[in-house]
Amino acid sequence: MHERLSFHIKRDSVIHRLNPLTKLVLILALILIAFTFPWYWAPHFLLLLAIIPLGILGRVFPEFFKTATRLILPAASFLFLMQAFFQPIGEDVIFKFYFLDITQESLMFAFRNAMRVFVMVSAFTLFLLTTHPSELMSDLTRRGLPPQFAYVIISTLQILPQMQAKAQTIIAAQRSRGLDTESTFLKRAGSVLPLVGPLVFGSLVEVEERAIAIEARGFTSKNVKTSLYEIPDPSFDKFIRWSLLGLVILSIAANLWPS
Amino acid sequence: MAFVNLQNVTYQYPLTKTPALQNINLQVDEGEFVAVVGPNGAGKSTLCYALAGFVPHFFKGEISGTIEVAGKESSKSTLDEWVLNVGLAFQNPFNQISGAKYTVFEEIAFGLENIGVPREEMKSRVEDAMALTGIRDLADRSPYSLSGGQQQRVALTSILVMRPRLLVLDEPTSQMDPIGTREVFGTIRKMAEDGMTVVLVEHKMEWIAQFADRVVALKDGSILLEGKPGEVLTSDLLAENGFGSSRYTSTAREAKKRGLWRKENLPVTLDEAVEGFALTLPFSSPKGAPRGRGESGK
Repeated sequence: MHERLSFHIKRDSVIHRLNPLTKLVLILALILIAFTFPWYWAPHFLLLLAIIPLGILGRVFPEFFKTATRLILPAASFLFLMQAFFQPIGEDVIFKFYFLDITQESLMFAFRNAMRVFVMVSAFTLFLLTTHPSELMSDLTRRGLPPQFAYVIISTLQILPQMQAKAQTIIAAQRSRGLDTESTFLKRAGSVLPLVGPLVFGSLVEVEERAIAIEARGFTSKNVKTSLYEIPDPSFDKFIRWSLLGLVILSIAANLWPS
Repeated sequence: MAFVNLQNVTYQYPLTKTPALQNINLQVDEGEFVAVVGPNGAGKSTLCYALAGFVPHFFKGEISGTIEVAGKESSKSTLDEWVLNVGLAFQNPFNQISGAKYTVFEEIAFGLENIGVPREEMKSRVEDAMALTGIRDLADRSPYSLSGGQQQRVALTSILVMRPRLLVLDEPTSQMDPIGTREVFGTIRKMAEDGMTVVLVEHKMEWIAQFADRVVALKDGSILLEGKPGEVLTSDLLAENGFGSSRYTSTAREAKKRGLWRKENLPVTLDEAVEGFALTLPFSSPKGAPRGRGESGK
Protein backbone atom coordinates (compact mmCIF):
# COMPACT_ATOMS: atom_id res chain seq x y z
CA MET A 1 0.00 0.00 0.00
CA HIS A 2 2.97 2.26 0.56
CA GLU A 3 3.91 2.13 -3.08
CA ARG A 4 3.60 5.19 -5.14
CA LEU A 5 4.27 6.01 -8.71
CA SER A 6 7.46 7.95 -8.33
CA PHE A 7 11.04 7.11 -9.16
CA HIS A 8 12.39 9.92 -7.05
CA ILE A 9 15.25 8.95 -4.75
CA LYS A 10 15.81 11.31 -1.89
CA ARG A 11 19.51 12.13 -1.82
CA ASP A 12 21.60 15.21 -1.55
CA SER A 13 23.56 15.98 -4.68
CA VAL A 14 24.42 18.81 -7.03
CA ILE A 15 21.77 17.56 -9.43
CA HIS A 16 19.12 17.18 -6.73
CA ARG A 17 19.74 20.76 -5.68
CA LEU A 18 19.28 22.20 -9.16
CA ASN A 19 16.04 24.02 -9.76
CA PRO A 20 13.50 21.57 -11.26
CA LEU A 21 13.06 23.75 -14.33
CA THR A 22 16.82 23.74 -14.92
CA LYS A 23 16.78 19.96 -14.85
CA LEU A 24 13.85 19.86 -17.22
CA VAL A 25 15.64 22.22 -19.62
CA LEU A 26 18.80 20.14 -19.26
CA ILE A 27 17.20 16.88 -20.30
CA LEU A 28 15.22 18.49 -23.11
CA ALA A 29 18.43 20.06 -24.38
CA LEU A 30 20.22 16.70 -24.26
CA ILE A 31 17.41 15.08 -26.21
CA LEU A 32 17.21 17.84 -28.82
CA ILE A 33 20.96 17.81 -29.35
CA ALA A 34 20.99 14.02 -29.63
CA PHE A 35 18.37 14.23 -32.33
CA THR A 36 19.57 17.27 -34.25
CA PHE A 37 23.35 17.55 -34.07
CA PRO A 38 24.62 16.63 -37.52
CA TRP A 39 27.38 14.29 -36.48
CA TYR A 40 26.90 10.56 -36.50
CA TRP A 41 28.43 9.86 -33.09
CA ALA A 42 26.69 12.72 -31.23
CA PRO A 43 24.19 10.57 -29.27
CA HIS A 44 26.89 8.06 -28.36
CA PHE A 45 29.11 10.81 -27.04
CA LEU A 46 26.24 12.40 -25.12
CA LEU A 47 25.63 9.11 -23.38
CA LEU A 48 29.26 8.77 -22.36
CA LEU A 49 30.02 12.39 -21.62
CA ALA A 50 26.71 13.72 -20.30
CA ILE A 51 24.22 11.07 -19.19
CA ILE A 52 26.60 8.82 -17.29
CA PRO A 53 28.51 11.67 -15.57
CA LEU A 54 25.17 13.27 -14.63
CA GLY A 55 24.05 9.99 -13.09
CA ILE A 56 27.25 9.83 -11.04
CA LEU A 57 27.04 13.51 -10.05
CA GLY A 58 23.42 12.99 -9.00
CA ARG A 59 24.48 9.97 -6.89
CA VAL A 60 21.84 7.80 -8.55
CA PHE A 61 24.10 5.81 -10.87
CA PRO A 62 23.30 2.35 -9.41
CA GLU A 63 19.57 2.95 -9.79
CA PHE A 64 20.05 4.47 -13.21
CA PHE A 65 22.18 1.53 -14.31
CA LYS A 66 19.50 -0.89 -13.18
CA THR A 67 16.76 0.90 -15.11
CA ALA A 68 19.01 1.32 -18.13
CA THR A 69 19.95 -2.34 -18.41
CA ARG A 70 16.59 -3.82 -17.53
CA LEU A 71 14.25 -1.45 -19.27
CA ILE A 72 15.88 0.93 -21.70
CA LEU A 73 18.45 -1.44 -23.19
CA PRO A 74 15.92 -4.14 -24.21
CA ALA A 75 13.62 -1.53 -25.73
CA ALA A 76 16.44 0.16 -27.62
CA SER A 77 17.75 -3.23 -28.79
CA PHE A 78 14.35 -4.13 -30.14
CA LEU A 79 14.18 -0.84 -31.98
CA PHE A 80 17.66 -1.48 -33.33
CA LEU A 81 16.74 -4.89 -34.72
CA MET A 82 13.52 -3.65 -36.26
CA GLN A 83 15.16 -0.77 -38.02
CA ALA A 84 18.19 -2.79 -39.08
CA PHE A 85 15.98 -5.38 -40.77
CA PHE A 86 13.25 -3.27 -42.19
CA GLN A 87 14.94 -0.05 -43.25
CA PRO A 88 15.06 -0.37 -47.04
CA ILE A 89 18.26 1.58 -47.59
CA GLY A 90 21.68 0.64 -48.92
CA GLU A 91 22.88 -2.00 -51.36
CA ASP A 92 25.69 -3.66 -49.52
CA VAL A 93 24.00 -6.66 -47.85
CA ILE A 94 26.08 -7.99 -45.00
CA PHE A 95 23.62 -10.37 -43.36
CA LYS A 96 20.68 -12.37 -44.69
CA PHE A 97 17.91 -14.08 -42.78
CA TYR A 98 15.37 -15.69 -45.14
CA PHE A 99 13.85 -12.70 -46.93
CA LEU A 100 15.22 -10.11 -44.48
CA ASP A 101 18.54 -8.52 -45.05
CA ILE A 102 20.73 -6.07 -43.25
CA THR A 103 22.83 -3.61 -45.16
CA GLN A 104 25.76 -1.56 -43.99
CA GLU A 105 23.58 1.58 -44.17
CA SER A 106 20.55 0.21 -42.38
CA LEU A 107 22.82 -1.06 -39.63
CA MET A 108 24.36 2.35 -39.11
CA PHE A 109 20.98 4.03 -39.32
CA ALA A 110 19.46 1.68 -36.76
CA PHE A 111 22.40 2.03 -34.42
CA ARG A 112 22.12 5.80 -34.34
CA ASN A 113 18.33 5.81 -33.87
CA ALA A 114 18.47 3.25 -31.10
CA MET A 115 21.14 5.35 -29.43
CA ARG A 116 19.04 8.49 -29.73
CA VAL A 117 16.12 6.77 -28.09
CA PHE A 118 18.46 5.39 -25.44
CA VAL A 119 19.70 8.91 -24.67
CA MET A 120 16.15 10.26 -24.57
CA VAL A 121 14.77 7.68 -22.17
CA SER A 122 17.93 7.78 -20.04
CA ALA A 123 17.70 11.54 -19.71
CA PHE A 124 14.09 11.28 -18.57
CA THR A 125 15.01 8.53 -16.13
CA LEU A 126 17.71 10.70 -14.60
CA PHE A 127 15.25 13.54 -14.33
CA LEU A 128 12.66 11.38 -12.56
CA LEU A 129 15.27 9.91 -10.24
CA THR A 130 16.54 13.27 -9.05
CA THR A 131 13.37 15.42 -9.07
CA HIS A 132 10.51 15.20 -6.62
CA PRO A 133 7.25 15.49 -8.57
CA SER A 134 5.66 17.92 -6.13
CA GLU A 135 8.78 20.11 -6.23
CA LEU A 136 8.60 20.23 -10.01
CA MET A 137 4.90 21.03 -9.96
CA SER A 138 5.07 23.75 -7.34
CA ASP A 139 7.96 25.37 -9.20
CA LEU A 140 6.05 25.25 -12.47
CA THR A 141 2.88 26.52 -10.78
CA ARG A 142 4.86 29.45 -9.43
CA ARG A 143 5.95 30.17 -12.99
CA GLY A 144 2.37 30.23 -14.23
CA LEU A 145 1.34 26.63 -14.88
CA PRO A 146 -2.38 26.33 -13.95
CA PRO A 147 -2.66 24.68 -10.50
CA GLN A 148 -5.45 22.45 -11.82
CA PHE A 149 -3.00 20.96 -14.29
CA ALA A 150 -0.38 20.38 -11.61
CA TYR A 151 -3.04 18.81 -9.39
CA VAL A 152 -4.10 16.36 -12.08
CA ILE A 153 -0.51 15.20 -12.64
CA ILE A 154 0.41 14.77 -8.98
CA SER A 155 -2.84 13.24 -7.82
CA THR A 156 -2.79 10.76 -10.69
CA LEU A 157 0.69 9.65 -9.67
CA GLN A 158 -0.55 9.11 -6.13
CA ILE A 159 -3.99 7.71 -6.76
CA LEU A 160 -3.12 5.10 -9.40
CA PRO A 161 -1.40 2.77 -6.90
CA GLN A 162 -4.42 3.23 -4.61
CA MET A 163 -6.76 2.23 -7.40
CA GLN A 164 -4.59 -0.78 -8.10
CA ALA A 165 -4.96 -1.84 -4.49
CA LYS A 166 -8.70 -1.32 -4.72
CA ALA A 167 -8.89 -3.45 -7.87
CA GLN A 168 -7.16 -6.23 -5.96
CA THR A 169 -9.74 -5.93 -3.19
CA ILE A 170 -12.60 -6.11 -5.67
CA ILE A 171 -11.09 -9.16 -7.36
CA ALA A 172 -10.70 -10.87 -3.99
CA ALA A 173 -14.27 -9.95 -3.01
CA GLN A 174 -15.79 -11.21 -6.25
CA ARG A 175 -13.76 -14.41 -6.18
CA SER A 176 -14.91 -15.13 -2.67
CA ARG A 177 -18.44 -15.01 -4.08
CA GLY A 178 -17.51 -17.57 -6.69
CA LEU A 179 -16.54 -15.43 -9.66
CA ASP A 180 -14.38 -17.42 -12.04
CA THR A 181 -11.14 -15.58 -12.71
CA GLU A 182 -8.77 -18.37 -13.63
CA SER A 183 -10.32 -20.94 -15.97
CA THR A 184 -10.96 -20.73 -19.72
CA PHE A 185 -10.49 -17.52 -21.63
CA LEU A 186 -14.21 -17.05 -22.34
CA LYS A 187 -15.19 -17.49 -18.71
CA ARG A 188 -12.53 -15.05 -17.62
CA ALA A 189 -13.67 -12.55 -20.24
CA GLY A 190 -17.16 -12.81 -18.77
CA SER A 191 -15.71 -11.97 -15.38
CA VAL A 192 -14.39 -8.62 -16.50
CA LEU A 193 -17.65 -6.74 -16.06
CA PRO A 194 -18.26 -7.57 -12.39
CA LEU A 195 -14.67 -6.52 -11.71
CA VAL A 196 -14.49 -3.34 -13.74
CA GLY A 197 -18.01 -2.15 -12.88
CA PRO A 198 -17.45 -1.55 -9.16
CA LEU A 199 -14.03 -0.06 -9.84
CA VAL A 200 -15.31 2.47 -12.36
CA PHE A 201 -18.49 3.43 -10.52
CA GLY A 202 -16.69 3.51 -7.19
CA SER A 203 -14.09 5.82 -8.68
CA LEU A 204 -16.75 8.16 -10.04
CA VAL A 205 -18.29 8.52 -6.59
CA GLU A 206 -14.84 9.10 -5.18
CA VAL A 207 -14.14 11.82 -7.68
CA GLU A 208 -17.19 13.71 -6.47
CA GLU A 209 -16.17 13.43 -2.83
CA ARG A 210 -12.60 14.40 -3.60
CA ALA A 211 -13.82 17.43 -5.51
CA ILE A 212 -15.85 18.48 -2.47
CA ALA A 213 -12.88 17.91 -0.19
CA ILE A 214 -10.45 20.04 -2.15
CA GLU A 215 -13.09 22.66 -2.80
CA ALA A 216 -13.66 22.86 0.97
CA ARG A 217 -9.98 23.61 1.27
CA GLY A 218 -10.11 26.60 -1.00
CA PHE A 219 -8.80 24.98 -4.18
CA THR A 220 -10.75 27.36 -6.40
CA SER A 221 -9.98 30.38 -4.25
CA LYS A 222 -9.15 33.45 -6.30
CA ASN A 223 -6.41 34.46 -3.87
CA VAL A 224 -2.83 34.25 -5.10
CA LYS A 225 -1.59 30.85 -3.99
CA THR A 226 1.46 30.45 -1.82
CA SER A 227 3.76 27.48 -1.42
CA LEU A 228 4.92 25.69 1.71
CA TYR A 229 8.39 25.19 0.34
CA GLU A 230 10.60 27.73 -1.24
CA ILE A 231 12.26 26.29 -4.31
CA PRO A 232 15.52 28.16 -4.85
CA ASP A 233 16.32 29.45 -8.31
CA PRO A 234 19.76 31.06 -8.09
CA SER A 235 21.28 33.01 -10.98
CA PHE A 236 23.60 30.05 -11.62
CA ASP A 237 20.52 28.04 -12.64
CA LYS A 238 19.37 30.78 -14.96
CA PHE A 239 22.84 30.90 -16.51
CA ILE A 240 22.75 27.14 -17.14
CA ARG A 241 19.32 27.36 -18.71
CA TRP A 242 20.28 30.12 -21.13
CA SER A 243 23.54 28.35 -22.04
CA LEU A 244 21.64 25.15 -22.77
CA LEU A 245 19.18 27.05 -24.90
CA GLY A 246 22.13 28.50 -26.81
CA LEU A 247 23.58 25.02 -27.38
CA VAL A 248 20.24 23.71 -28.64
CA ILE A 249 19.95 26.61 -31.09
CA LEU A 250 23.49 25.97 -32.31
CA SER A 251 22.74 22.28 -32.76
CA ILE A 252 19.58 22.95 -34.73
CA ALA A 253 21.31 25.62 -36.81
CA ALA A 254 24.14 23.20 -37.61
CA ASN A 255 21.55 20.66 -38.66
CA LEU A 256 19.79 23.08 -40.99
CA TRP A 257 22.99 24.61 -42.40
CA PRO A 258 23.23 23.77 -46.10
CA SER A 259 26.47 21.93 -46.44
CA MET B 1 -29.46 37.47 15.09
CA ALA B 2 -28.13 33.95 15.24
CA PHE B 3 -24.72 33.16 13.76
CA VAL B 4 -26.17 30.37 11.64
CA ASN B 5 -29.68 30.93 10.44
CA LEU B 6 -31.66 28.55 8.24
CA GLN B 7 -35.12 29.78 7.28
CA ASN B 8 -37.62 27.42 5.63
CA VAL B 9 -34.91 25.58 3.74
CA THR B 10 -36.27 22.99 1.32
CA TYR B 11 -33.90 21.30 -1.06
CA GLN B 12 -34.17 18.64 -3.72
CA TYR B 13 -31.21 16.97 -5.44
CA PRO B 14 -31.33 16.93 -9.23
CA LEU B 15 -33.03 13.83 -10.70
CA THR B 16 -34.76 12.91 -7.44
CA LYS B 17 -38.48 12.96 -6.67
CA THR B 18 -38.57 13.80 -2.98
CA PRO B 19 -36.83 16.68 -1.23
CA ALA B 20 -33.80 15.78 0.90
CA LEU B 21 -34.50 18.69 3.25
CA GLN B 22 -38.00 19.92 4.02
CA ASN B 23 -38.74 23.23 5.61
CA ILE B 24 -35.72 23.32 7.90
CA ASN B 25 -35.60 26.14 10.43
CA LEU B 26 -32.46 26.13 12.49
CA GLN B 27 -30.60 28.77 14.44
CA VAL B 28 -27.16 28.26 15.97
CA ASP B 29 -25.35 30.81 18.11
CA GLU B 30 -21.70 31.62 17.77
CA GLY B 31 -19.58 29.19 19.81
CA GLU B 32 -22.44 26.72 20.16
CA PHE B 33 -21.84 22.99 19.66
CA VAL B 34 -24.86 21.42 17.97
CA ALA B 35 -25.11 17.71 17.24
CA VAL B 36 -27.36 16.33 14.51
CA VAL B 37 -28.74 12.81 14.82
CA GLY B 38 -31.02 10.78 12.61
CA PRO B 39 -31.45 7.46 10.81
CA ASN B 40 -29.87 6.81 7.40
CA GLY B 41 -31.39 8.95 4.68
CA ALA B 42 -32.72 11.53 7.13
CA GLY B 43 -30.86 14.33 5.37
CA LYS B 44 -27.98 14.75 7.82
CA SER B 45 -25.29 14.89 5.16
CA THR B 46 -27.42 17.13 2.97
CA LEU B 47 -27.80 19.52 5.89
CA CYS B 48 -24.00 19.54 6.24
CA TYR B 49 -23.58 20.26 2.54
CA ALA B 50 -26.16 23.03 2.77
CA LEU B 51 -24.31 24.69 5.65
CA ALA B 52 -20.97 24.31 3.86
CA GLY B 53 -22.33 25.83 0.65
CA PHE B 54 -22.11 22.69 -1.50
CA VAL B 55 -25.89 22.63 -1.60
CA PRO B 56 -26.79 24.23 -3.93
CA HIS B 57 -23.50 25.60 -5.33
CA PHE B 58 -21.92 22.23 -6.05
CA PHE B 59 -24.84 19.83 -6.32
CA LYS B 60 -27.21 22.21 -8.12
CA GLY B 61 -30.82 21.10 -7.66
CA GLU B 62 -33.75 23.16 -6.40
CA ILE B 63 -33.52 25.11 -3.18
CA SER B 64 -35.87 27.49 -1.44
CA GLY B 65 -35.54 29.40 1.80
CA THR B 66 -32.41 31.17 3.04
CA ILE B 67 -29.15 29.95 4.54
CA GLU B 68 -27.17 32.56 6.45
CA VAL B 69 -23.82 32.19 8.18
CA ALA B 70 -22.04 35.12 9.83
CA GLY B 71 -24.53 37.53 8.30
CA LYS B 72 -23.88 36.41 4.72
CA GLU B 73 -26.39 34.65 2.57
CA SER B 74 -25.33 31.48 0.80
CA SER B 75 -27.23 32.11 -2.42
CA LYS B 76 -25.60 35.52 -2.79
CA SER B 77 -22.11 34.19 -2.21
CA THR B 78 -19.78 32.00 -4.26
CA LEU B 79 -18.46 28.70 -3.02
CA ASP B 80 -14.83 29.82 -2.87
CA GLU B 81 -15.78 32.75 -0.61
CA TRP B 82 -18.10 30.62 1.47
CA VAL B 83 -15.46 28.02 2.38
CA LEU B 84 -13.32 30.73 4.00
CA ASN B 85 -15.96 30.95 6.74
CA VAL B 86 -17.28 27.42 6.82
CA GLY B 87 -15.12 24.31 7.06
CA LEU B 88 -16.42 20.85 6.17
CA ALA B 89 -14.99 17.46 7.05
CA PHE B 90 -16.93 14.34 6.17
CA GLN B 91 -16.97 10.68 6.86
CA ASN B 92 -14.76 8.94 4.34
CA PRO B 93 -11.24 10.07 5.18
CA PHE B 94 -9.63 8.43 2.15
CA ASN B 95 -11.45 10.72 -0.27
CA GLN B 96 -10.58 13.80 1.73
CA ILE B 97 -6.89 13.37 1.17
CA SER B 98 -6.06 15.75 -1.62
CA GLY B 99 -3.70 13.37 -3.40
CA ALA B 100 -1.56 16.36 -4.28
CA LYS B 101 0.79 16.02 -1.34
CA TYR B 102 3.32 13.48 -0.21
CA THR B 103 3.46 14.06 3.55
CA VAL B 104 0.88 14.80 6.24
CA PHE B 105 2.49 18.16 6.93
CA GLU B 106 2.16 19.20 3.28
CA GLU B 107 -1.35 17.78 3.17
CA ILE B 108 -2.47 19.98 6.04
CA ALA B 109 -0.77 23.00 4.48
CA PHE B 110 -2.63 22.40 1.17
CA GLY B 111 -5.65 24.52 2.11
CA LEU B 112 -3.47 27.37 3.37
CA GLU B 113 -1.46 27.35 0.13
CA ASN B 114 -4.70 27.60 -1.80
CA ILE B 115 -5.94 30.65 0.06
CA GLY B 116 -2.54 32.32 -0.08
CA VAL B 117 -1.31 32.30 3.53
CA PRO B 118 2.35 33.48 3.74
CA ARG B 119 4.93 30.72 4.24
CA GLU B 120 6.03 31.44 7.81
CA GLU B 121 2.48 31.86 9.09
CA MET B 122 1.51 28.70 7.24
CA LYS B 123 4.17 26.64 9.00
CA SER B 124 3.21 27.82 12.47
CA ARG B 125 -0.49 27.32 11.80
CA VAL B 126 0.11 23.76 10.60
CA GLU B 127 2.24 23.03 13.67
CA ASP B 128 -0.44 24.42 15.98
CA ALA B 129 -3.24 22.50 14.32
CA MET B 130 -1.30 19.24 14.45
CA ALA B 131 -0.55 19.75 18.13
CA LEU B 132 -4.24 20.39 18.74
CA THR B 133 -5.38 17.10 17.22
CA GLY B 134 -2.37 15.14 18.43
CA ILE B 135 -0.91 14.09 15.09
CA ARG B 136 2.52 15.75 15.31
CA ASP B 137 4.25 12.39 15.08
CA LEU B 138 2.59 11.75 11.71
CA ALA B 139 4.01 14.89 10.07
CA ASP B 140 6.45 13.14 7.73
CA ARG B 141 4.33 10.09 6.91
CA SER B 142 2.54 9.68 3.60
CA PRO B 143 -1.19 10.38 4.11
CA TYR B 144 -1.96 7.16 2.25
CA SER B 145 0.06 5.01 4.63
CA LEU B 146 -2.13 5.93 7.62
CA SER B 147 -4.95 3.98 9.24
CA GLY B 148 -8.55 5.11 8.78
CA GLY B 149 -8.67 6.77 12.18
CA GLN B 150 -5.40 8.59 11.59
CA GLN B 151 -6.62 9.72 8.17
CA GLN B 152 -9.75 11.09 9.81
CA ARG B 153 -7.61 13.10 12.18
CA VAL B 154 -5.61 14.43 9.26
CA ALA B 155 -8.84 15.36 7.45
CA LEU B 156 -10.11 17.17 10.54
CA THR B 157 -6.79 18.95 11.06
CA SER B 158 -6.71 20.00 7.41
CA ILE B 159 -9.98 21.84 7.98
CA LEU B 160 -9.19 23.17 11.47
CA VAL B 161 -5.98 24.73 10.19
CA MET B 162 -8.04 26.99 7.94
CA ARG B 163 -9.71 28.43 11.07
CA PRO B 164 -13.29 28.46 9.84
CA ARG B 165 -15.85 30.28 11.96
CA LEU B 166 -18.35 27.48 11.44
CA LEU B 167 -17.08 23.92 11.53
CA VAL B 168 -19.34 21.32 9.92
CA LEU B 169 -18.43 17.71 10.66
CA ASP B 170 -20.17 14.68 9.17
CA GLU B 171 -19.28 11.67 11.33
CA PRO B 172 -15.66 12.67 11.78
CA THR B 173 -14.86 9.81 14.17
CA SER B 174 -16.53 6.88 12.40
CA GLN B 175 -13.23 5.02 12.01
CA MET B 176 -11.71 5.86 15.37
CA ASP B 177 -11.39 3.77 18.49
CA PRO B 178 -13.10 4.98 21.71
CA ILE B 179 -9.96 6.68 23.01
CA GLY B 180 -9.44 8.52 19.71
CA THR B 181 -13.12 9.51 19.65
CA ARG B 182 -12.90 10.93 23.15
CA GLU B 183 -9.81 12.95 22.27
CA VAL B 184 -11.34 14.34 19.11
CA PHE B 185 -14.59 15.25 20.88
CA GLY B 186 -12.51 16.99 23.54
CA THR B 187 -10.71 18.97 20.85
CA ILE B 188 -13.96 19.95 19.14
CA ARG B 189 -15.45 20.99 22.50
CA LYS B 190 -12.42 23.15 23.14
CA MET B 191 -12.70 24.77 19.72
CA ALA B 192 -16.33 25.59 20.50
CA GLU B 193 -15.36 27.13 23.83
CA ASP B 194 -12.82 29.27 21.98
CA GLY B 195 -15.65 30.63 19.85
CA MET B 196 -15.86 28.29 16.88
CA THR B 197 -19.40 27.26 16.03
CA VAL B 198 -19.74 23.52 15.51
CA VAL B 199 -22.40 21.46 13.77
CA LEU B 200 -21.67 17.77 14.06
CA VAL B 201 -23.43 14.73 12.65
CA GLU B 202 -22.81 11.73 14.85
CA HIS B 203 -24.23 8.35 15.79
CA LYS B 204 -22.35 7.95 19.06
CA MET B 205 -25.04 9.14 21.47
CA GLU B 206 -22.99 8.91 24.66
CA TRP B 207 -20.41 11.29 23.27
CA ILE B 208 -23.04 13.74 22.08
CA ALA B 209 -24.61 13.76 25.53
CA GLN B 210 -21.27 14.54 27.11
CA PHE B 211 -20.02 17.18 24.73
CA ALA B 212 -22.77 18.87 22.71
CA ASP B 213 -24.84 21.87 23.84
CA ARG B 214 -27.87 20.99 21.79
CA VAL B 215 -29.19 18.10 19.70
CA VAL B 216 -31.22 18.30 16.52
CA ALA B 217 -33.02 15.11 15.49
CA LEU B 218 -33.68 14.81 11.76
CA LYS B 219 -36.11 12.43 10.13
CA ASP B 220 -37.09 12.29 6.45
CA GLY B 221 -35.56 15.68 5.82
CA SER B 222 -37.39 17.53 8.61
CA ILE B 223 -36.49 18.40 12.16
CA LEU B 224 -38.36 16.02 14.45
CA LEU B 225 -37.10 17.23 17.79
CA GLU B 226 -34.59 19.73 19.08
CA GLY B 227 -33.28 20.52 22.54
CA LYS B 228 -30.87 19.60 25.32
CA PRO B 229 -28.98 16.33 24.69
CA GLY B 230 -30.26 14.66 27.85
CA GLU B 231 -33.88 15.30 26.89
CA VAL B 232 -33.77 14.69 23.15
CA LEU B 233 -31.65 11.55 23.22
CA THR B 234 -33.83 9.83 25.79
CA SER B 235 -37.20 10.85 24.40
CA ASP B 236 -39.67 8.13 23.48
CA LEU B 237 -40.45 9.98 20.26
CA LEU B 238 -36.95 9.20 18.99
CA ALA B 239 -37.15 5.58 20.02
CA GLU B 240 -40.49 5.22 18.21
CA ASN B 241 -39.06 6.75 15.05
CA GLY B 242 -36.21 4.32 14.63
CA PHE B 243 -33.40 6.44 16.00
CA GLY B 244 -30.66 4.48 17.67
CA SER B 245 -30.11 5.14 21.34
CA SER B 246 -27.14 4.57 23.58
CA ARG B 247 -26.99 1.17 25.26
CA TYR B 248 -27.48 2.86 28.62
CA THR B 249 -30.70 4.47 27.45
CA SER B 250 -32.05 1.20 26.03
CA THR B 251 -31.12 -0.73 29.15
CA ALA B 252 -32.79 1.79 31.43
CA ARG B 253 -35.86 1.91 29.20
CA GLU B 254 -36.26 -1.84 29.59
CA ALA B 255 -35.56 -1.57 33.32
CA LYS B 256 -38.20 1.12 33.63
CA LYS B 257 -40.84 -1.25 32.21
CA ARG B 258 -39.95 -3.73 34.96
CA GLY B 259 -39.91 -1.06 37.64
CA LEU B 260 -36.17 -1.13 38.09
CA TRP B 261 -35.57 2.45 37.01
CA ARG B 262 -37.04 5.03 39.35
CA LYS B 263 -35.54 8.30 38.11
CA GLU B 264 -37.67 10.38 35.83
CA ASN B 265 -35.11 10.83 33.07
CA LEU B 266 -33.43 8.01 31.22
CA PRO B 267 -29.63 8.04 31.12
CA VAL B 268 -27.46 8.49 28.01
CA THR B 269 -24.03 8.04 29.51
CA LEU B 270 -22.47 5.42 31.73
CA ASP B 271 -22.23 7.78 34.68
CA GLU B 272 -25.91 8.66 34.55
CA ALA B 273 -26.83 4.99 34.28
CA VAL B 274 -24.71 4.06 37.27
CA GLU B 275 -26.23 6.85 39.29
CA GLY B 276 -29.78 5.77 38.43
CA PHE B 277 -29.35 2.06 38.92
CA ALA B 278 -27.67 2.66 42.26
CA LEU B 279 -31.07 3.79 43.55
CA THR B 280 -32.73 0.46 42.83
CA LEU B 281 -30.18 -2.27 42.81
CA PRO B 282 -29.74 -3.72 46.29
CA PHE B 283 -26.03 -4.50 46.23
CA SER B 284 -24.81 -0.98 45.75
CA SER B 285 -25.38 2.31 47.46
CA PRO B 286 -25.44 5.71 45.75
CA LYS B 287 -22.37 6.86 47.65
CA GLY B 288 -20.18 3.87 46.97
CA ALA B 289 -21.37 3.41 43.41
CA PRO B 290 -18.56 2.52 41.04
CA ARG B 291 -18.10 5.41 38.70
CA GLY B 292 -14.90 4.94 36.76
CA ARG B 293 -14.40 2.51 33.94
CA GLY B 294 -12.84 -0.74 35.06
CA GLU B 295 -12.26 0.45 38.59
CA SER B 296 -14.61 -1.52 40.78
CA GLY B 297 -15.97 -0.01 43.94
CA LYS B 298 -15.47 -3.08 46.14
